[in-house]
Amino acid sequence: MAASVREKQTAALKRMLNFNAPPLKNTTAEPVWKVLIYDRFGQDIISPLLSVKELRDIGITLHLLLHSDRDPIPDVPAIYFVMPTEENIDRICQDLRNQLYESYYLNFISAISRSKLEDIASAALAANAVNLVTKVFDQYLNFITLEDDMFILCNQNKEHISYHAINKPDIMDTDMDGIMDTIVDSLFCFFVTLGAVPIIRCPRGNAAEMVAVKLDKKLRENLRDARNSLFTGDTVGTGQFSFQRPLFVLADRNLDLATPLHHTWTYQALIHDVLDFHLNRVSVEESQGSEASPAGARPKKKNKKSYDLTAADKFWQKHKGSPFPEVAEAVQEELDTYRAQEDEVKRLKSIMGLEGEDDGAISMLSDNTAKLTSAVSSLPELLEKKRLIDLHTNVATAVLDHIKSRKLDVYFEYEEKLMSKSTLDKSLLDIISDPDAGTAEDKMRLFLIYYITSQQPPSEADLEQYKKALVDAGCDLSPLNYIKQWKAFTKMAATPANYGSSGVKPMGLFSRVMNTGSQFVMEGVKNLVLKQHNLPVTRILDNLMEIKSNPETDDYRYFDPKMLRGSESSIPRSKNPFQEAIVFVVGGGNYIEYQNLVDYTKARQGKRVLYGCSELFNAAQFMKQLSQLGQK
Amino acid sequence: MTSRAATCQSWLADITLLFKASVKTVKTRNKALGLLDCSSREEACGVKRARVRDSFSGRAREVISNISKLKEFLLQHRKEYVNAGSVMCSDVSRMTDSERDQIDQDAQIFMRTCADAIGQLRSEMGKQVVSAQVKDHRAAVLDLIEVYLRGVCKLYSEQRAVRVKRVVDKKRLSRLEPEQISHNKQQSDGEENSDKPVSDSNMDLWEDNRVDDDLSPEEIQMFEQENQRLVGEMNSLLDEVRQIEGKVVEISRLQEIFSEKVLQQETEIDNIHQLVVGATENVKEGNEDIREAIKNNAGFRVWILFFLVMCSFSLLFLDWYDG
Repeated sequence: MAASVREKQTAALKRMLNFNAPPLKNTTAEPVWKVLIYDRFGQDIISPLLSVKELRDIGITLHLLLHSDRDPIPDVPAIYFVMPTEENIDRICQDLRNQLYESYYLNFISAISRSKLEDIASAALAANAVNLVTKVFDQYLNFITLEDDMFILCNQNKEHISYHAINKPDIMDTDMDGIMDTIVDSLFCFFVTLGAVPIIRCPRGNAAEMVAVKLDKKLRENLRDARNSLFTGDTVGTGQFSFQRPLFVLADRNLDLATPLHHTWTYQALIHDVLDFHLNRVSVEESQGSEASPAGARPKKKNKKSYDLTAADKFWQKHKGSPFPEVAEAVQEELDTYRAQEDEVKRLKSIMGLEGEDDGAISMLSDNTAKLTSAVSSLPELLEKKRLIDLHTNVATAVLDHIKSRKLDVYFEYEEKLMSKSTLDKSLLDIISDPDAGTAEDKMRLFLIYYITSQQPPSEADLEQYKKALVDAGCDLSPLNYIKQWKAFTKMAATPANYGSSGVKPMGLFSRVMNTGSQFVMEGVKNLVLKQHNLPVTRILDNLMEIKSNPETDDYRYFDPKMLRGSESSIPRSKNPFQEAIVFVVGGGNYIEYQNLVDYTKARQGKRVLYGCSELFNAAQFMKQLSQLGQK
Repeated sequence: MTSRAATCQSWLADITLLFKASVKTVKTRNKALGLLDCSSREEACGVKRARVRDSFSGRAREVISNISKLKEFLLQHRKEYVNAGSVMCSDVSRMTDSERDQIDQDAQIFMRTCADAIGQLRSEMGKQVVSAQVKDHRAAVLDLIEVYLRGVCKLYSEQRAVRVKRVVDKKRLSRLEPEQISHNKQQSDGEENSDKPVSDSNMDLWEDNRVDDDLSPEEIQMFEQENQRLVGEMNSLLDEVRQIEGKVVEISRLQEIFSEKVLQQETEIDNIHQLVVGATENVKEGNEDIREAIKNNAGFRVWILFFLVMCSFSLLFLDWYDG
């Protein structure tokens, strides 16, 4: 598959917005205007992919929520992009009755059932608007693509399929079925958009297995139904060398609970951990200034600014996986290049000023007009660059403030050591009792990681000591109850502790001296260098992709929807390593795993890995879920 | 290939036919259940359907069709227009310069009328009272039309720039030729001069008779040289004029961009002006208030002083009275 998932989804959206006809490449085509109506699901899907300006260019004059008050706009075709739920269908029928628009193009995010279709048909008949409903489509786009190779399932009802919902002790079978259906539906849409039928591998005995069984069944049904199959024509037509099918690895969150709690050091993961970041939009609080307010003045208002981190932002694409100090330096470099270019443009201005007096030199004039034209045409680029530099400066400064106030580098270093079983230079109790290192949440996270990664649980006396220290620091102990239960249940006691060999080298004095020159004065923040290490998910993927034999993955189940008879054997058919893989974590994932997979892919040429999860949470949200589970 | 697969896929996900089928089922179901017959209502609604189309969208569509006509016109004649007469091409499809100028003028008038029409629509839309969404929609529609018009204008100006550039290049090339020709001429003059004495000697007798009426060979040569010089000068002047024309076209384009930016800044400057005026007012008022406060303070102090002095005098008086 040469095109990434993001490009495919964007292309599908653009086609849909062009009345389901392939978009023309003609740059000066006649404008056709239309109105886009979406519900919250549709909004979440569209907003990371298309900006408002791009929508305008396509010809969308207004974009409105389905359940808002909408006025009739005659003579305009309306494109609907909604989920086929009861309320949405009712609202569409109401719109048809009120005759709001000239023609209706209905696009459903996932497949609509026959009965609901008949509801719309009867409403259309009653309103005599049948010939106004021009096209009805199932778009099969029920997933949100955040990056070229990362997707999540949904953002609106994520409590419905969260880790808490899947793992709570009093869950009923019907609930579980509902959750599984939602997940399988989205995964099915994902594979339809991708255009490939994968080979599924999953571990035994947990939620991931249930998802795999259902997904296999659904794919199989769809392939058997030769008339309506959505996968015809693409075994031949998807890209150059796709004789091989991709590998789809389903993992369960219970496999590795330490990674979501881990403190991190790469740019994107830090932003997700520390600031308010979702759907590629980060909100930063800006304080007005650092002077002390004079007595009697009103308290300074902090205004929140939100920025979009998009695919077009080259700096972001290059540095989103780099460790934070690198990012700081890179921003400084960009700023310097920008200033140099700005100076050149200013110099041009002075040259023009001189030339104004000397009006006999036509030849010099020609040079300068050329220079002026080039300067004017490059001006928008420069302004855009400035905006991006400002954006990243603000974001990075905010992150740095958090790091300094919470001493996140200390936590990161300590946790890396915990996870890699190297020797610890400070005892855990010291860090927990240290009053100005981090919030209560940070300490709880650290302790949980320690608990999860220790080979034997700590003795009762130690545990009591830790608990007292934690309570003194103000932590809530309910996640600990849940983790205890989890540890008791999980039989793979050895493997979670094995986080691969990693090492954290604090770079010495030299780098600190270098850093003081930069704008970000990182005194006291150690410049930590990440060594390559593999998280459990990456390791499992490696084993499965390279068909290595490993006790961990040997008893994974094997599903192939294209085989005529569903067999229970777990012997894989092909012995060749896979070139493409999709990793999906049921129960939630985060950017740390994603970054690890990206690094793994970069180290190996020619392999492509996509990462997906049922929801994306940062450590704070995960802790909340754990405490909810622990309280039961 | 991916696009073909994608179109296959989108065709298979098209359930419009399914929808129409379900409409039919619902109709038959309604008829079977004896619900209201919709056929009579259809006619009534059909009449309603033929309502007056919104005048705004009708006019907007007219403007778009005009701009499309202009675009087709430009594209049609583009090949001939741009083909600024290389010597090789056949004379059949050649455009004269006057025709090109005519096209330029027509295109400009057309573009101006289109821009006026858009401006008119915008002002009318501002006067009409419609809901906020319809207003937004109309504003966005007008923006789209403007962008389209700008694209077509860019086509036109590109064409024109290419034409001017080609003419300038041609002139530059042809400027080499007169030099060569003059070079040749000089050579041939040399030859002629060498021939001339021969012929002169032959025609000496004959020419001597004519020497008073005609110019002497030296004078002929001088006049020829001067001729050549004048031709060269004129050519270079023409050359420079063409160059300047090219530059002016470029400058006008830049001017357009600048004026756009300046207009954008105008609104911002207006805002700032208003804010500054407001701020000066506030500062003036503040000054007044401070003056009042100082006066009150001073007045207050005077009164206190007076009161204290009166008290002490009264004390003295009482003391004296008592004593």
